[in-house]
Amino acid sequence: MSVDVALFYLFAAMATASAVAMVVNVRNTVAAAMSLVICMVSLAGIYVVLEAHLIAVVQIMVYAGAIVVLFIFVVMLLNLRQDSFPPGRMRGLKFLGSLAGLWFLARFLATQAEYLPQTVALEEGFGGYRHLGMALFTDYLLAFEATSLLLLAAIVGAVILAKRRLDT
Amino acid sequence: MNPPPVEIALDFRAVAPIAISGIGAMAVLLLEVFLARRKTFLFKPIGPSYVSGVLGLAATFTLVAAITTAAQAFLSGGTAVFNPEHPMVQLDRFAAFGIGVVGVGALLAVWLSIHYLVELRINYGEYYALLLLSTSGMMLMVSAVDLISVFLGLEILSIPIYVLAGFDRRKLDSNESAMKYFLTGSFASGLLLYGMALLYGTTGHTDLAGIRAAFDAGNPLTVGGLGLVIVGFAFKVSSVPFHQWTPDVYEGAPTSVTAYMSVTVKAAAFVTLLRFAAAGFATVPENLTQVLWVLAVATIAVGNITAVVQDNVKRMLAYSSIGHAGFILIGFVAASPEGYSAVLFYLFAYLFMNVGAFGVIVALADRGRDWDRIEDYSGLARTRPGLAAVMTLFMISLAGIPGTVGFVAKFQIFAAAVKAGHVWLTVIAVLGSVISIYYYLRVPVHMYMREPGEVSPRTGMDTTEGLVLLTCVFGVLFFGFFPDGIDRLPLSALSWARDSVALLR
Repeated sequence: MSVDVALFYLFAAMATASAVAMVVNVRNTVAAAMSLVICMVSLAGIYVVLEAHLIAVVQIMVYAGAIVVLFIFVVMLLNLRQDSFPPGRMRGLKFLGSLAGLWFLARFLATQAEYLPQTVALEEGFGGYRHLGMALFTDYLLAFEATSLLLLAAIVGAVILAKRRLDT
Repeated sequence: MNPPPVEIALDFRAVAPIAISGIGAMAVLLLEVFLARRKTFLFKPIGPSYVSGVLGLAATFTLVAAITTAAQAFLSGGTAVFNPEHPMVQLDRFAAFGIGVVGVGALLAVWLSIHYLVELRINYGEYYALLLLSTSGMMLMVSAVDLISVFLGLEILSIPIYVLAGFDRRKLDSNESAMKYFLTGSFASGLLLYGMALLYGTTGHTDLAGIRAAFDAGNPLTVGGLGLVIVGFAFKVSSVPFHQWTPDVYEGAPTSVTAYMSVTVKAAAFVTLLRFAAAGFATVPENLTQVLWVLAVATIAVGNITAVVQDNVKRMLAYSSIGHAGFILIGFVAASPEGYSAVLFYLFAYLFMNVGAFGVIVALADRGRDWDRIEDYSGLARTRPGLAAVMTLFMISLAGIPGTVGFVAKFQIFAAAVKAGHVWLTVIAVLGSVISIYYYLRVPVHMYMREPGEVSPRTGMDTTEGLVLLTCVFGVLFFGFFPDGIDRLPLSALSWARDSVALLR
């Protein structure tokens, strides 16, 4: 087993474990958010193993950085504590649901594994800044520009809903 | 070290309607800042209704320009692709038809809003900017031929509408409406995105043509992806069982916003789904037809039966819009060119009758309160005979009674379904239609056969509101009697719909 593969399994195990930890910790919101950070960082590690360094950096900055910080802000602003969540209802049903999901996954892996995505050869420089820049400003130029409209809509919408006094 | 310069040939005609709406939105935002700094503009003192009028006029110019470019593209019959090497947006007849319906819907909503916003004291310029941004997102979505542009269009259309639904910040209903729509809508967006990721992961393509070529109907991941995409769209068109948000959102949002979203979001989502169904997944009709059959029957049944017990007219119209979504889905089940052109014609017809019905509610709104309870309409024929008459016309058109555009639309759909061999589906749909007559006619019964209440309705009507009602009455009657136009007035809506789907085959 080469170093690459070993690292992949390490990061993959971390990502899965932290994702499970996030769901288990759902009533302790800060712990859940921190598990999400670990999950995002592990995914960034997988991108590094794939030599997509730029995407790995963006993953850490945007997801582990900005988005989770936003989550923590919301948690703090709402002042959520463990006792602000009612004790779990329908526990048996939830347990059965998880079992059904696991069974479905196992069946899928056992019978339909041939349909799982196959490995493909990546072109030289995949995921680098040059590759990304070329894709962004040629093939996906329109999507890039349309995103600015989306941001404008979100900004205007946030201001109109959250501004304290609208009549000036 | 620098790579050689890349030359890409871009055809900006393909994005003209989208760009015009987006730029118009920014212009409206700037115009409001400019107006806010002055006491007079064009020698007239600036009051609330004047600002609303000027901004509404700017939005009108924008939308008329966008509709004109789309109409030119439709008449020329050609296909403009923004970047032929990597097609993401394609302005063809099909897209142009969708842009036309969405644009006219937005235009009527702008006219409905000019006075209504002043009445509710929420006349901020951002309203028109958000409405135009949302319209440009719809135009992007209906002309999209790539999963990425479909998703971007869907988000650009949704986010402004979440805000518009909560635009009346002082009202609890409006806040509830925005919150519900936002939470359920983002969840649906997530499902749609997951479906798109599965499609991309299993086929290796994001463009519809590539997905169609690489589609493997035996692969559970691909089929699951397609299923999740259908769920995402079913949410946007409020098809059962993804309809629960509809009544609360339609009731709480300002009525002009409800009029806008009920016709345009439905039109944009159905047109895009049509491109998916007809162009993207024409190779897997078997399973898809069964899924859509169940969706259509459930939607017709739940929508029409629940509408019967509603005492709020906006809520009743929300359930009726669920029912209409079910009728439109029948065209997808038929999966024939007739069915698809019937879907487009239905969306076109629905535009006039539904905006008209909400337009009457807007025209009655008085001192910041909507006249939306069924008792408010008691004796309206005596106090406001004109409004009562047009409301009756829109109700019988929504019910699908001959002589109105609603009948022609339903007839087209049912004929296509029978021709495709779905007789039972048609029988169920006709039963649903019969139920709908009961709740639609409750409104005219209250208006004509009850005594007026103690509070008399608002007198007088704003010019733009009158213009909307006039347009809708014309649309309902003209296309009801002459769905293919007449010699002197060649508005041949049926042929337009037929020409639009011709290239999907």
